[in-house]
Amino acid sequence: MPEYKGMVQPVRATDAEMRKIHMEPVPDEQKPQKALEYLDYARKNYRSFVLAMESCVKCGQCAENCHTYLGTKDIHNIPTNRAELIRKIYKRYFTLEGRWFGKLVGAEDISLDVIEQWYSYYYQCSQCRRCAHVCPFGIDTCEVTFIGRQLLHWLGIVPKLHANVGAAMEKVGNHTGLPKPGIVDTLEFMSEEIMDEFGVEVEFSVDKPNSDIIYIPSSADFLLNPYTLMGAGMFFTYIGANWTIPSTVTEAGNFGLLFDQHYTQRHNVMRLLNAAQALNAKKIVWGECGHGWRAAKMYVPSLADRPVRWPITHIHDEIAELIRANQLKLDPTKITQPATLHEPCNYVRACGLNENMSTIIKSCVSDFREMSPNGANNFCCGGGSAILFDDPEMYQRRILLSSKKAEQVRATGVGANGNGILCAPCSICKAQLYPMVEEHELGVEVKGLVDLVGKALVWK
Amino acid sequence: MRFLIAQVLPYITVTIFTLGVLYRLGRWAGARRVHNINLSPWVPDSGQMTVRIGTEAFLFRSLWIFDKGLWVGAIAMHLALLNIIGGHIVGFGFLGEQFAYIPGITVEMSKAASDMLGKIFGIILFVALAYLLLRRLTIPAVKQVNRTSDIFWLVFLLALVGIGNLMRFVYEFHMPYEHIYAYMAHLFTFQSVMGLPALDNYFFLAHFLLVQIMLILLPFSKLLHLFGMFGMRWLLHQPYQDPAPGLPNVDVQAARRAGLGVPAGDSSGGV
Repeated sequence: MPEYKGMVQPVRATDAEMRKIHMEPVPDEQKPQKALEYLDYARKNYRSFVLAMESCVKCGQCAENCHTYLGTKDIHNIPTNRAELIRKIYKRYFTLEGRWFGKLVGAEDISLDVIEQWYSYYYQCSQCRRCAHVCPFGIDTCEVTFIGRQLLHWLGIVPKLHANVGAAMEKVGNHTGLPKPGIVDTLEFMSEEIMDEFGVEVEFSVDKPNSDIIYIPSSADFLLNPYTLMGAGMFFTYIGANWTIPSTVTEAGNFGLLFDQHYTQRHNVMRLLNAAQALNAKKIVWGECGHGWRAAKMYVPSLADRPVRWPITHIHDEIAELIRANQLKLDPTKITQPATLHEPCNYVRACGLNENMSTIIKSCVSDFREMSPNGANNFCCGGGSAILFDDPEMYQRRILLSSKKAEQVRATGVGANGNGILCAPCSICKAQLYPMVEEHELGVEVKGLVDLVGKALVWK
Repeated sequence: MRFLIAQVLPYITVTIFTLGVLYRLGRWAGARRVHNINLSPWVPDSGQMTVRIGTEAFLFRSLWIFDKGLWVGAIAMHLALLNIIGGHIVGFGFLGEQFAYIPGITVEMSKAASDMLGKIFGIILFVALAYLLLRRLTIPAVKQVNRTSDIFWLVFLLALVGIGNLMRFVYEFHMPYEHIYAYMAHLFTFQSVMGLPALDNYFFLAHFLLVQIMLILLPFSKLLHLFGMFGMRWLLHQPYQDPAPGLPNVDVQAARRAGLGVPAGDSSGGV
């Protein structure tokens, strides 16, 4: 691997790794037939998918609006062409026009090569929904990628990264495999760091019963983005909240959304609800994670196997609300470097966080420069849906996928003196951008939004 | 052949078109709205949902925002088409005298207006279709998404509209309203249409045949995108209210008065 007949592909999970996420890989000779069975299931059950299959007029509007196509110039990365990789099979087997007119309407027989195409291109799509946003019909190609990845999962084809994350989540409740003692130790260390750097006493509690709030951080915040978790701790301390972190769910992400919206995603949802019940919480507050927030906000109601008793909000919602109510004292002169905001695709096109992020960053920094385009029009970082593959071919592709973002950041001028801040309040964006700002030599440091809140808080 | 096109095929066309559309809509209705896939920023209530979907459907809102060139071609084509469909129904139904119902408009003026509108929209439709075809064949990104059938449909529609325009613009090929009225009346009442003067016009027969082919294929082709658009937008623009922010048992002012987070005995102003 990582190439199949000229197509880049992520390293795939071994059979043993697939079994850890409860999938028995389908033998190659059965894959085409099974793929058709699963596709038949998808078309009969998901209206968003069947409409995406049957409504496109090929106007080409999505092409220049997709960062993946702009970066790679690979025609299969044009959203409608990417959808066409399934649509050609769908037409051939499930529509009269495809059966009657075949190639004239672009229908094609299923084969292993087609399935390998799916694996290559559905794992280059960031599921960022910019194509749905610009499409005159609102065709949500993200839904096609969801189905494409779901079919691949059922066939036993999942990237090693995603499969291992799924298994780790089931084992310990986070993506990084960090066990409870490691969590407690890390949080104690963070408390010390906060005292050293900010002179503030913050106590992180884990599994504290009868907490009003359970906070679900991204597990990457324990390791890669400590200032985000430290910022959250400072925020909750500042407002005097009775809060805790549940050790069974130390993960804001839910990779089920990205490759298996059935067992994997539902399992994580139920794990969350169990944690909230066990700790007798009143509210669940989510940490900085784009896809994870979409999964929590929009999918918990439809995936939960019992009524959901807990309101779920994002920490940005709560911070922005308190800023608007003049309850938080923030000093933007504490952060004077030029800063810009990369608005994660899931926040702005799937979760409605647009205004809140803007409210927060403008209160935290003194030299804010808006990115263009921004808000719902913003482009993805190129790592969306966790296509954060490190194998050499895919890494090179990540550089291409982030080229539109690099262009946007450069245009703001924040990195001109090499001291800019690129605020990217999502763990996948951060993981993508940490190396990419170096690759593109952007002169910026990547930070979360809650990081900035922690730094800007005025305690006395 | 004339018998087939003008007497038999219309009934087959109507049957296939009706059942085909129902079949296609039934396929879509059978699948469910499984998860909430709202596109944000979202609309808060069904009134604004209607406005949002309406502006997309009738004003092509997204195209206007993201591609004004395509917007011009698309809106011209669809508005002209809408007017021409309406014009066919009203014009033939009222023999071109529909505007005479407006006080002050004579029958002659109405017929002239009807003719003029038909000419104007016929030209707009033809030019807009030609523009859309040209766009498909010249813009690199669009060329890369074309399938043969996409080109076919535009050429097909150009032929269909072109023949219609010929009958409108060339006096010798002109089709009087009365002939079509009589022909349709016979069809609707299941009487023989053979021998009616409308069938002597070969341009009409060709035009009518193409229309029927289009209607037969429509339910099974991308031409049904009209309904698909409503279905897709309905999924994306469901009214949605964010859960209310506000944290339980939080009193920020009390917390600040108590100096939470500030180490005891810290009197410096550094934090």
